Amino acid sequence: MTDLDAATREALAELVLTLADDEFVLGFWDSEWTGIAPMLEEDVATSSIAQDEIGHAKAWYELLAELTDDDADRIAYGREPDAYRHAALMNHPRTDWAFTVARRFLYETADSIRLEALSRSSHPGIAGLAAKMRREETYHLLHWSAWMRRLAEGPETRARIVAALDRLRPDAEAIFSPLAGEAALVTAGVLPDGLAALRAAWHERTATELRALGLPVPVDEAPAPTEGRTQRTDDFRWLWGEFTSVARAEPGASW
Amino acid sequence: MADRVWEVFRQEAEGDPFIHGGSVNAPDEELAMHYAREFYGRRQESVRLWVVPREAIVELDDPDLLQPPFDRSFKRPGGYLIKHKLEAARVRAGSPAGSGEPEGEA
Repeated sequence: MTDLDAATREALAELVLTLADDEFVLGFWDSEWTGIAPMLEEDVATSSIAQDEIGHAKAWYELLAELTDDDADRIAYGREPDAYRHAALMNHPRTDWAFTVARRFLYETADSIRLEALSRSSHPGIAGLAAKMRREETYHLLHWSAWMRRLAEGPETRARIVAALDRLRPDAEAIFSPLAGEAALVTAGVLPDGLAALRAAWHERTATELRALGLPVPVDEAPAPTEGRTQRTDDFRWLWGEFTSVARAEPGASW
Repeated sequence: MADRVWEVFRQEAEGDPFIHGGSVNAPDEELAMHYAREFYGRRQESVRLWVVPREAIVELDDPDLLQPPFDRSFKRPGGYLIKHKLEAARVRAGSPAGSGEPEGEA
């Protein structure tokens, strides 16, 4: 893709960074369930899915490093908290199991729509990775949808799921917050559908699933927040301190 | 959620026999499949899994049926001494002894 102009290349790098940071930060939050998930089997499943996300983040960071002549580890661990570009959905701490399931449900449905579009990208690196990731994300979506159905059944778990969805929904919209150079990416076919169109598809998809579970369907039609990927919280700063602690202890060390 | 025990059998390659991998606890079939996949399939070590509720397994362990007290070696292939019969048959057929199919246990 050497025929892309500088502005489009910059937008491409921004897009890949958002994909990488979403997976990276969510992977770290969910890895906090290791050892304390509701049952041993689920502990292994949650940890394994969290690991998958870190693996996907690694693949995106490596692609980004190639595009920007940088180093994947430096991008992953060498930035200040404010330079991360994950959606606001990933600013929240792990919280309780219902909260994690609700976040996972919102994220996995959005991610599957986003990956489907990216697998049609004109950029072969992006299309190839998205196609591979879709295969793994199919299981993630099945797993978290299975948990949504279970938690929607009991009165107590249902109340918790409703509260968590309520709290997380506005920040989940940030997954589809507009990117600076988005128009150029759409024109070049790097991003085959604009983020607003993907967001509409996500609304439709989640509404269908929530209705089927008898859960409230949000009716908010406001545009996705423009600051959805730049606002950082103290919770995220704490997590950043955790996941960069080893890298910061011995900068430049080879492991 | 009340857990049930599910036995997991795995096949390593198409056409291979299924071998018992182990068991998982899960409240229902759907999560049992997910957990079986995590424990016995996520490292590309299986091409197919069978996930069976433990109570569906019919167990037979009666020693009167499985370990009869009399000598039943004649029910095993090794219970027949056929080496000399085979040699005689070869002579009759005109082929030299020791050629042809391997004889196996005699």
